[in-house]
Amino acid sequence: MDSHQSSNKWGKRLLIIGRIALGIVFVVAAYMKMKPQPGMAWSWASIETSLSMFAMGVDSYQILPPWAVSLVAHWLPPFELFLGLWLLAGLGLRASSLIAALLICGFFVAMTSAYRRGLTISCGCFGPGEQIGPKRLIEEGVMLLPLALAVCIGAFLMAKKEQEGDQSPLEATVGLGDTARR
Amino acid sequence: MLLRPWFGSPRAWRVSLLWAGLLLAPCLALPQAAPSAALKNTDSPAKPAAKTSAKTADAKPVAAGPLVKSYGSASAPIKLDVFTDYQCPSCRNFYQSSLRQLIVSDYITSGKVYLVHHDFPLQAHMYSGLAARWANAAARVGQFPEVEAALYDNQDAWGASGDIAKYVAAAISAADFKRVDALVKSCESPAPTSSWDHGDPLAKDPHPCPFDYAVRDDIELGYKIPVQATPTYVITYKGQKLPAGSGTVSWPILKQFFDSLLAQQ
Repeated sequence: MDSHQSSNKWGKRLLIIGRIALGIVFVVAAYMKMKPQPGMAWSWASIETSLSMFAMGVDSYQILPPWAVSLVAHWLPPFELFLGLWLLAGLGLRASSLIAALLICGFFVAMTSAYRRGLTISCGCFGPGEQIGPKRLIEEGVMLLPLALAVCIGAFLMAKKEQEGDQSPLEATVGLGDTARR
Repeated sequence: MLLRPWFGSPRAWRVSLLWAGLLLAPCLALPQAAPSAALKNTDSPAKPAAKTSAKTADAKPVAAGPLVKSYGSASAPIKLDVFTDYQCPSCRNFYQSSLRQLIVSDYITSGKVYLVHHDFPLQAHMYSGLAARWANAAARVGQFPEVEAALYDNQDAWGASGDIAKYVAAAISAADFKRVDALVKSCESPAPTSSWDHGDPLAKDPHPCPFDYAVRDDIELGYKIPVQATPTYVITYKGQKLPAGSGTVSWPILKQFFDSLLAQQ
């Protein structure tokens, strides 16, 4: 088997694994924020209560005014669910992975800002209860953010490769493909 | 038969998944209509910010025992337990931006919310244990709301000087201050505080103040939550405890949450 084809195959496999992992993270995050609170059954009212509880978590970051907190808290979890399913679907991966990377970047900046301001608050990332601290920042900064960036970069590289024929993504990016052939 | 190849293709499943997301997301975001409407009325039930005793007069604590640090009716469907430290700036923000409005709102006066204060003085703050002692002494003579407000409103001043008595005296009548002062002065032991090792705050004290037991009980209850930072709040709805939260929450957002709970069937 040609080495280009082999690396391309592995690149595609890794991209699929990455986008599925990222998609699951977003779906789980949305579910944890929207699931009914203890003792409540699934209903619009119980989802609304969970989103209002998430709003309290968003508000504790002390970044947004109350009207914006309410807007973010009520739209972010459904959007996370949509984004998760979009990533799992694998359609328009460049756009979905770019949005996911920007979103995670935003979360990381907000958490770092809260931590630097000495706010000992709940992260709210996967529902209530998880405190912002070095552990949470490392999880977000070392695992989630690189994963999102890798999927995003991989999606762009794959798309470029498909446009340029059978050049491997790395070669296409750094321009080594032509040199190697020469 | 014609549809079979299309549904069998991986692309078809991807498109279906994407459409599912597109349809689900706006539906789930629809309930936002209710909180937006609630936010418009944020200021209506809340009276001007209470600063002294006269302004919190309509929110006197219920007579539930000799040492009362609560507001409203214990039979309210929503119970809000708040663990705070009088010297913590976030606790002051929470009180000034949210709890003060709650205390004078109809959520408390009409029996919808029962607010319970719990002391969780942190070891890191030099005077927070002493401030909790003053507040508990004031609670003994029915002056807790006034002293609580005075402690938060003058946090920077007494936090620097340690002169808590001056601000307590300014918040309540001379007669009440005399009683509170006598209670605090009868205490010889250091004021209890929480500790990292979750030890008994009164373990090293052979003769604790009578009302230090109330602080100890609050701290030990806080360990069980567990309180990892102040302020920490626990909301109980119809006997069902919800996950604890921490940090400052503004009044419109807290009010929105209460409304969503009260809208439950």
